[in-house]
Amino acid sequence: MIEAINALLRSEFPDERITAQIDERNIVTLSGECSTWAVLIQIGHAVAKIPGVRNVVSDMTAKGVEIPKKDYTPVVEEGRRIGEVDSADVVIVGAGVSGCGIARELARYNLKIVVVEKGDDVASGASKANNGDIHPGHAVKPGTLKAKLNVRGNRMYTQWAKDLGFELQRCGSLKVVTSEKLVPEIEKMYAVAVINGVDGARLVRGDEIAQIEPRLGEEMEKAGVKPVLGLWLPSFGLVEPYDVVVALAENAAENGVHFRLNCTVGDVLTENGQVTGVVTNQGIIRAKYVINCAGVYADEISEMAGDRCYTIHPRKGTIAILDKSAPPLYNALAGFATGNEVVLKKNVESKGGGMCRTPEFNILLGPSATEVPDKEDVETTAEDLRYAMSRNSNPYVGTGDIIKIFAGSRPADFKEDFVIEMSDKTHGFINVGAIQSPGLASAPAVAEMACGILLGDLQEHDAFPSVNMNFNPIRKRRVEFRHMTNEQRDELIRRDPRYGRIICRCEQITEGEILDAIHSPIVPGSIDAIKRRTRAGMGRCQGGFCQPRVLEILARELGKDPTEITLKGEGSNVLLCESRSKVNEGGADK
Amino acid sequence: MKEFQVDVAVIGGGPAGLAAALEARKQGIEKVLLLERDTSLGGILQQCIHDGFGLHRFNARLSGGQYAQRFIDQLDGSGIEVKLDTIVIDMTDEKVIYACNPTDGMMRIQCGAIILAMGCRERTASQVLIYGTRPAGVMTAGAAQRYINMEGYLPGKNAVILGSGDIGLIMARRMTLEGIKVKGVYEVMPNPGGLTRNIVQCLDDYGIPLHLSTTVTRIEGKERVERVTVAKVDEKRNVIPGTEEVIDCDLLVLAVGLIPENELSRQAHLEMDRKTRAPLLDNNFMTSCPGIFAAGNVSVVFDLVDYVSLSGEIAARGAAKYLAGKLPEHPQYRTVTHSDRINFIVPQRVELSADEDLTFFMRVTAPYKNARLVGKCGETVICNKRHQAMVPPEMLECTVKVAPQQEIYFSVEEG
Repeated sequence: MIEAINALLRSEFPDERITAQIDERNIVTLSGECSTWAVLIQIGHAVAKIPGVRNVVSDMTAKGVEIPKKDYTPVVEEGRRIGEVDSADVVIVGAGVSGCGIARELARYNLKIVVVEKGDDVASGASKANNGDIHPGHAVKPGTLKAKLNVRGNRMYTQWAKDLGFELQRCGSLKVVTSEKLVPEIEKMYAVAVINGVDGARLVRGDEIAQIEPRLGEEMEKAGVKPVLGLWLPSFGLVEPYDVVVALAENAAENGVHFRLNCTVGDVLTENGQVTGVVTNQGIIRAKYVINCAGVYADEISEMAGDRCYTIHPRKGTIAILDKSAPPLYNALAGFATGNEVVLKKNVESKGGGMCRTPEFNILLGPSATEVPDKEDVETTAEDLRYAMSRNSNPYVGTGDIIKIFAGSRPADFKEDFVIEMSDKTHGFINVGAIQSPGLASAPAVAEMACGILLGDLQEHDAFPSVNMNFNPIRKRRVEFRHMTNEQRDELIRRDPRYGRIICRCEQITEGEILDAIHSPIVPGSIDAIKRRTRAGMGRCQGGFCQPRVLEILARELGKDPTEITLKGEGSNVLLCESRSKVNEGGADK
Repeated sequence: MKEFQVDVAVIGGGPAGLAAALEARKQGIEKVLLLERDTSLGGILQQCIHDGFGLHRFNARLSGGQYAQRFIDQLDGSGIEVKLDTIVIDMTDEKVIYACNPTDGMMRIQCGAIILAMGCRERTASQVLIYGTRPAGVMTAGAAQRYINMEGYLPGKNAVILGSGDIGLIMARRMTLEGIKVKGVYEVMPNPGGLTRNIVQCLDDYGIPLHLSTTVTRIEGKERVERVTVAKVDEKRNVIPGTEEVIDCDLLVLAVGLIPENELSRQAHLEMDRKTRAPLLDNNFMTSCPGIFAAGNVSVVFDLVDYVSLSGEIAARGAAKYLAGKLPEHPQYRTVTHSDRINFIVPQRVELSADEDLTFFMRVTAPYKNARLVGKCGETVICNKRHQAMVPPEMLECTVKVAPQQEIYFSVEEG
C-alpha cells in the first residue's frame, strides 16, 4: 500500500516533499512541509481515499503557516499537584452532544460516570455553533458510518425530543429544480436517500410540490420558472442544538452523572495497555473507561492515550442569523434551483450549509466551510460572511437583517467519517472522534453505538453492569412564557410573579425563566450560558438591554460580585472594577 | 386575566411618554394610563447623568434625571395611572393592548387611543459587520453607560469607540472622567454623527482624537477584547487596503446608530416609513391606524430631548382630538415633499383640510453652510429661516401655518 501512496504523492503532488509511513493498522502518517495549508488538506484527503488506508495522521506543516499546538504541561502539573480527586467507571471527555448523549445513555446502568468539559458550560464547542439541522441522511456517502448513524439518529430524535423536552420540528426538506438539466442532480440525491434508507424520501412533481409548500409555488411563479422535479424528505428536522445538549446533560445529571466544568484533560493515564484515568487541571480522576468526545481536540486526547490514529483538521463555518422580523418564506426547508445560481466557494469535502431556519423562525445562512490551521479559530471574516449571504434565496431579506454572525469549527478528519471504536492500542479508551456534520443528527445513534462498545466490553469481561432501576428518561421542558397563551401566562404569573417580569424584551424572556435556568442541574455560570438556556440576549438587540439585568440576576443568585460574572467563562468578565463614584460612595449599593 | 378600558394608554415612560401622558390629561382626557417596563420612570434619561438637557424647553442645563424629574413631579395628583414593571406584549389594530407585570398578571386593555413611546435601541457589532472574535468587552454605548452610571462598574480600562453619535461622544468623556483611557473615536462617515457641541465638549476638551472615514474591521481576543483593527474607508465606505492599524484595547464601545423599537407597531400592522424605520405619521403624529399615535424616538430618532417631549405633546393633542371625534374617520392626506438636500421630514403627511400651525422635524442629507430652510404651502412661503450651519445630526424643527389642500414642500436654498 505504501507504494500506492508514494505513487499518488509523486503524480498528484510532484512539487511537495511529503513522506508517508504506514503502520500495521494501515494508519498512514504523513510528514513534510507543504506549500500551502490548502495543499496539506488536499494531500491528507487524497491519501485517505486510497483503498485500504484506515486513516491519516498528519505531521505535515505548511509554509509560513503556524499550527498552534496546545501546551498541556501546566494542566498536567496542576493535576499532579492536586492528586487523585475522584474515581469512576467511566470518564467522558467533552460535554458536547456526543459526550452528553453517551453519558445519559450510560446512566441507564449502575456505573459511576464523570463528564469533564474544558469549557464553562456544556455545548461550548461545535455543538453550539451549528445550524441545528437534523439531516435525513441523503447527503452522506453510502456505506459510511456517517450514513448509518445519520439515518438511525434522525429516527431516534423523536423519542429524544419527547423524553427530554426539547423542541424538534420535523418540517421536512423540499428541494425543487426548475430546469431539466438539473434533474439528474435530484435523481442522484434521491438514489443516495434510497440506498441510505432515508425515511419517507419521495420524488415529487407539480401539484404535490404546491401541496407540501404552497408558498414555493408562488415564489417560482414570481421568478418566472416552473417546477420540474422535487425531492421531498419529510424526516428533515430542526432543533436548537444547545437545547438538545442542555437537556441531555440535565437528564444525565438527574440520573447521577457527575459533571466537571472548566476541567481540561492534560493527559490520559494507562498501565500495560489499559486506560486507568485522566489528569486534569482539577486533579487526577481514575477510570476504567475513558470515552473521548473532545471535538476538535479528540485527536490530541487519543494521542495522550497512546493511540495516534487520526488527525483533526478544523473546518470553520460561519453562520449569519437574521432578525425574526425577516421571517423565512417556508415552513419546510424548501427552495428551488434554476441552475443559474452562483456558488461562491466550493470545498471539495463540504460545500457548507445553505439557508435554513431555527425552530423559533430566525433565518440562518451558512455555515461556510473554510479549512483553518487553528482549532481555536472561530473568527468571523468578510469572506465567510459573503459565502453565507450568497446562500440567501429569500429575495425579501438581506444583510441589513443580520443580528449576529458567529462561527464554529467542525472536527473533521481526513477520512471524513466518524471514528467510533475501542482503541486497539489502549484498552478501555473509546474514541468518538471526528464527529462533524451530520453529528448532531446522528447523536442518538452515536450514543447508542458508543455505549454498545463499552457494554460489549464489560460483557466480554463478565462485568456487565446492573440496570439502574431508578433511571428516569424524562426531563421536563422548562416554562417558555413566549409560547404560552395569555390565559396560561396569567395563571403562571399568579403562581409566581417573577414570570410577570420580562428581562429580555426582544425574545420575551421572563425573570422566572432565568431563575429556572440558574437553579437547574447544570448551573449556568455565565451570561452566554443563560442565553443558550433561555434565549435572553438572543434577539435583535443582542443583549443591549438585558445583559446588565442578566448579569445582576446571576450575581445575586450565585452569591457573587458583579465583577465576577463572565460572558462565557473564565477570563471573560464583563465588568472589571467599581467606578470612581461608587468607590467614593464607599462601595455602597445603589 | 384582568380586563379594563382606558381612554388613552401611553406605552413607555421616558420623555416622550411622560410628556404625552401629562398633555393628554391637560387636554381633559379622563382615563390616562402610562405603562413603563422599567421599575422607575424616565427611560434612558435615568442613565444620562451629563447635563445639556432642556436648553430649549426650560432654558436650563439639566441632567437627564433632572429633566425627567420635572415631568415626573407633575404626575402627582394629575390623575394619571402609572403602571411600572409592566411590559406590553401585544397590540392590535383594534387598539387592544396585552400587557403584564408581576402584580396584575396579564391584562387586556381596551384603549380609546394609544400613544406609542417605546423609544429606540442601539445597533450592534454584527449589524455593522465587524468581524473577528466575540469576546467580552464589546458593548453598545448605552450598555456601557448603564454599567458605569447606574450600576457603578467599569467595563474596561482602555477603550476604543466606534461611531461618533452623541451617546458615543458623551461616553468618551464619561469614561475619561472614570479613568478609562479612551484611545480614539472612529467614525465610518466623513462627518461626525453627533452634535457639534458634543464634539467640542466631550472630545476636544479632553484631547480625545476623532478619526473620520475610519472604521473598526476586526476584533481580536478570546475571552476579552485584546485589540481591534481600524482602517480608513473610501467614499463608498469600503475599506482601503493598507490603511489598517491595530490598537490595543480591552473595550470596544459601539455608538453606531439607533433604531426605533417598533415591534409593537409591526404587530398592529402599522404602515412604516423605510427612511425613519418608524410608523408613517400625519400632522397629529397619528399612524396609519386611526387612534394609534407615536411620539419620541419610536417615531423618528431625535437629537434633543426637548423635541422628544414636544412630539409627545403633539401626539397627545392628536389623541384628544381623535377621542373628541374631531378627526375625520377616513383621513385624506397630502404627502409632505422635499428637495434632495433634505433626508426626511416627520410628519410625512398632512391631512388635506388641516389649516393650523404644524410642527415639522427634518434632517439634511449633507452639511450646508449659510443656507436657508424654505417651506412652501402652494405658492405661499411659510418658512424662510436662515441657518449658519445645517448638519445631518442636528434635527431642524419648524412650526408653520399651513393652508388646506395645498401642497407642502421644503427645500434648502443657498445664500
